[in-house]
Amino acid sequence: MDYFYSYATLAAIYVVLGLSTNLLVGIVGIFSVSQAAIFGVGAYVTGYCLVNEVVGFVPAMLLSALACLLVNVVVTLPALRVSGDYFVVTSFGIQLLATAVFTNWTGATGGASGLPGVPPASLLGTELVEAWQNLALALGLMALCCLLFHLLLRSPYGRLLRAVREDELAVAASGKGVLRAKVGAAALAGVFGGVGGSLYAVFLSFVDPSSFDLNGSVLLLTMVVVGGARTLLGSVIGPFLLLALPQVLTMVEIPTTAAAAARQGLYGALLIAFMVFRPQGLAGEKL
Amino acid sequence: MLLLQLLVNGLVTGCALAVVSFSFSLVYSTTRVFHVVHAGLYTLAGYGAWSLERAGIPAWWGLVVLPLVCAGLGALVQLWLYAPLEQRRATHLVMLIASLGLLAVVQNAIAAVYTPNILQFTDPWRARTVALGGVVLTAVQVATVVLSLVVFGLTLLLTRRTLLGKRIRAVASNPFLAEITRLRPGRTYVAVMALASALVAVPGVLVGMDLGLQPYGGTTVLLTGTVAVIAGGIGSLGGAFLLSVIITVLQNLSLLVMPGQWSVGITFLVFVLFMLLRPRGLFARAG
Repeated sequence: MDYFYSYATLAAIYVVLGLSTNLLVGIVGIFSVSQAAIFGVGAYVTGYCLVNEVVGFVPAMLLSALACLLVNVVVTLPALRVSGDYFVVTSFGIQLLATAVFTNWTGATGGASGLPGVPPASLLGTELVEAWQNLALALGLMALCCLLFHLLLRSPYGRLLRAVREDELAVAASGKGVLRAKVGAAALAGVFGGVGGSLYAVFLSFVDPSSFDLNGSVLLLTMVVVGGARTLLGSVIGPFLLLALPQVLTMVEIPTTAAAAARQGLYGALLIAFMVFRPQGLAGEKL
Repeated sequence: MLLLQLLVNGLVTGCALAVVSFSFSLVYSTTRVFHVVHAGLYTLAGYGAWSLERAGIPAWWGLVVLPLVCAGLGALVQLWLYAPLEQRRATHLVMLIASLGLLAVVQNAIAAVYTPNILQFTDPWRARTVALGGVVLTAVQVATVVLSLVVFGLTLLLTRRTLLGKRIRAVASNPFLAEITRLRPGRTYVAVMALASALVAVPGVLVGMDLGLQPYGGTTVLLTGTVAVIAGGIGSLGGAFLLSVIITVLQNLSLLVMPGQWSVGITFLVFVLFMLLRPRGLFARAG
């Protein structure tokens, strides 16, 4: 039962992160491969605040969301100047830069060994130590983010974002601000990333750079693509499905040293298979 | 003297990087696919040479065998992945995601077979040193510079003076016109992929011998290479070569003023600023 709780909690956290990636990559069409870096910023801000007892959990999460909002807007800025593959390289670069910062800024991040001993989340003075309490918190926030995402997609603003993806020129010609639309989407994606990162830090009680590297970004991308880009349902299916996969792998006999590589490789193979046979994912729209 | 040694080290690494970047530029400017699997082939070549050495075959044989193997693999990637996707009118984004997936498969397969740890070649030949006016170079480093310049010269000759080169340029400048004049862009794409993959095997083997091998090391190299391609202006092989050397020389010289682990991060920071201020590159050709 404990295993199920931790699986569901982690999946719920990844749903929030998947929404962040889906919003940028799927809805607005900004191909970001640095969402794991944003997620990392959220986790580190919360981790740092709680380990050093700067503030409590709720303010720490708000700080994470704010920090990620700012960072995400800044790193998405190049997308306003350059498009397509130029931005991809920039985004890869941002991911590598972030990994360098996480690993080498030892004073704040603990370097390669990470930040151990992040205390559990606390709400209204009670510490959430039980597994079901963590799950309830993660599911609650997930539901909130999903609701927000759903409302956004249905709103005129959501239509504007999709229009920006299809044809920026037409949007500009009809008197809508492309710049403001993109910045707004980046800000909201940042908030999702911050909330997800913050939950991740208190749930695992440990933050280290390896969770937020390029492989992490590819994992988030795989979740969105497999579940289905551009829809809410897709972002929910993806994480729950992909996080169950390692369990299937444990049934196959692989030496433990190769297990992590085998898992990452399988995610890669899934990406190829979906792109070739079903680019819209399980429950998405055509990419 | 330290300054001179760093300068020379930068030149040597720059020559190796230059081959990665101009071969990537060849693929990118012809097929318009952001071919990140290039990094996987680069790494694979190094591991192939290491296996040859293990099997008792002198490591320099790898310089003959691996380019051929990689040429075959590159052609297969085009035939089995990019061509079918293109036939289905897959968008840039879909091609890039598929390419990222294949890169993850290649790198993780290497990690699963050879372990993720650093591997070193044992051939005593590679450690033989040459002293040139107070600067010490290993035999491998000398070979890197010589072979990089040779393959660069050959590639220039091929693209400027031969029929295949003319076809490549024709297809690159207008695939549609090339199609209706029966130039068969599909075949040219396969040829370009084979050629570029053979080229990237050369630095793959040599850098592996010089610095050792790591499964995920190719990504940073390729991204630094793409920075050189973009900064040098897409389509300009000479620009890609020059910018690669400039970047690595600056990275090496930066060791005088700051710790080495920051140099990759700083490179991408400079690149992001570059993208914001002068997105067209230094030597982009008009049109």
